[in-house]
Amino acid sequence: MKMKKTDIGVVVFMYAMCGYWYYGTTQLKESSRTYPYFTVALLFGLTTLYLVQMLVAAKKHGVTSGVDEVFKDFKPAQFFVCLAGVAAYVVLVSVVGFFVSTVVFMTVLMLYLRVPVLYTAITVVVLNVLIYFAFTRFLGVRLPAGILI
Amino acid sequence: MLDTLSLMGAGFLNALTPINLLMMAGGVALGIVIGCMPGLSAAMGVALMLPMTFTMEPETGLIVLGAIYCGAIFGGSISAILIHTPGTPASAATAIEGYQMTLKGQAGKALFTACWSSFWGGLLSCISLYFFAPLLAQLALKFMSAEYFWLSIFGLTIIAGVSSKSLVKGLISGAFGLMLSTIGLDPITGVKRFMFGQSFLAEGVNTTCALIGLFSMSQVFILAEKKIVQRAKAAKVSDKMSLTKEERKILWPTIIRSWIIGNLTGILPGAGASIACFVGYNTAKQFSKHKEDFGHGTIEGVAGSEAANNAVTGGSLIPTLTLGIPGESVTAVLMGGLIIQGLTPGPELFTKYAPMTYTFFAGFVLVQFFMLAIGLLGCKGFAHISRLSDAILIPCVTVLCVVGSYAIHRNILDVVVMLIFGVIGYLMRKFDLNTAAVVLALILGPIGEKGLRNALRVSQGSIGVLFSSVVDWVLIILCVVGVLSPLLMNKLEKKSQAAADANDTVEKSGDAPAAD
Repeated sequence: MKMKKTDIGVVVFMYAMCGYWYYGTTQLKESSRTYPYFTVALLFGLTTLYLVQMLVAAKKHGVTSGVDEVFKDFKPAQFFVCLAGVAAYVVLVSVVGFFVSTVVFMTVLMLYLRVPVLYTAITVVVLNVLIYFAFTRFLGVRLPAGILI
Repeated sequence: MLDTLSLMGAGFLNALTPINLLMMAGGVALGIVIGCMPGLSAAMGVALMLPMTFTMEPETGLIVLGAIYCGAIFGGSISAILIHTPGTPASAATAIEGYQMTLKGQAGKALFTACWSSFWGGLLSCISLYFFAPLLAQLALKFMSAEYFWLSIFGLTIIAGVSSKSLVKGLISGAFGLMLSTIGLDPITGVKRFMFGQSFLAEGVNTTCALIGLFSMSQVFILAEKKIVQRAKAAKVSDKMSLTKEERKILWPTIIRSWIIGNLTGILPGAGASIACFVGYNTAKQFSKHKEDFGHGTIEGVAGSEAANNAVTGGSLIPTLTLGIPGESVTAVLMGGLIIQGLTPGPELFTKYAPMTYTFFAGFVLVQFFMLAIGLLGCKGFAHISRLSDAILIPCVTVLCVVGSYAIHRNILDVVVMLIFGVIGYLMRKFDLNTAAVVLALILGPIGEKGLRNALRVSQGSIGVLFSSVVDWVLIILCVVGVLSPLLMNKLEKKSQAAADANDTVEKSGDAPAAD
């Protein structure tokens, strides 16, 4: 199997994590360092092993980009709108309250994803009612109220 | 012996309370819905429902999770049979014969066979759960600090190999999870470690938030990146949903064989329902008196696959409950649920918490009956749900992820942690890393850390303590086997899948009109 260039990112990320954790561990009291050092050494060793595997694969079978495989059928606009929507929703929940933000989030996202209006309305109502009874009434969880409800 | 029998009896009495029965029915129905939707998985469903079980009695919570697990494994067969798209990988082999039966106008018969075989596969697997789990738990009584350290490493070597394309990447995922498990206060000295100035991280990363993020939220991102397509319309069930006496008689040997296969696959570390269904299917074909029917739609093929994948459920609970080693991602989530309830897998579950454990076992038996009843009565309805568009699933699952992670401590920061793990999980899945290994590392990390540090403290820092007993060496050997077993399992899966595909292709080409 060819070496994938995208895997370089995995290796770099794992080495960066090792570096950060190693530095953090050196700041701890000596008595608390053993186990974090063990985890750093383990991840470092395995990442290095993977790097060696990658280099062997590159020498034997060549190198491929890997981007096509990782991002096959990727719809960037749709993905980033959804991602931004989810992030905005989490912020909104604590500001305007759970139920209001849920209605807004679900309606906007479903209409963006071209769900017919009737289906959108039914889904929004059913899920909110379900959550209200399951969490608020049955489990007694007080969902974030925010500045509205 | 008498004690065990009385515990079993008491377990059934406790499991038969109205609330438990209601939860079983709800859990199975929910599991089937999750299982029959191709975008959702059993692990994701169990993770999503985990917070709902917090306020329940531990046994009730575990019964709900078990019910979702069993329901989801069966549910995958509905879409496999009616729309030729397995709801879960565990039903991949069912699609081969099941859909052919649908094309022949025998969808009802195929669904009945799937339900009937799933029921028996699941029910028979409970026998081994009752029999082997206490025996294995007794073995765990011999474990000291060093053994617990090796046990945590063993658990990681097993899960790391499962569902990863590269074994080393799986192990890297486990090591990454172990590193994240050091976030929070040092369990021995109380020193703050990697808390980024956030006091809510004092107890470490909340496992449930991580579970929901890694399994459920990451799936939302996976769905969001692909073009939204309308799934094929489910075929109409025009025939009667039943089997004749003769047909049921034919199925018995297949069900028994698949039960044994599924059970062993479940108990074996590193194997799961997705492997069992193909092995069960191929074995059914090998022993069939009508091999020529395979590929054209035969009830034996459906039964072989479905009995095997449901027999995995009981089998995989054995190492999970007794040793704390889940063999696949669903049982890793189930174990998370157990730990969140304040229970530690091991001998205590069969001594101190035996009434609770046996109630769960009894509930697991009863769940199979609910699966049969709900499956048979609701098949046609569930088939329509399997068409639900990803455009509806994306916002719905997101909302459930948010409300679920918030409900744990009623803290919005938990939602943020869930979201971060959602992104981590998405990236891990894109780059073929293993999210289940991270979850298990977060669970096993603290156990391993305590084991290692206590062992070193007792031995005054001598590392020899980790290699001082026979049990240590047995566990070390198991770790090596754990690393190597996925390679073997991959070969087995590929071989079984290739055989099933070849059979499918040969039969189809046989159907095609001959070229001039």
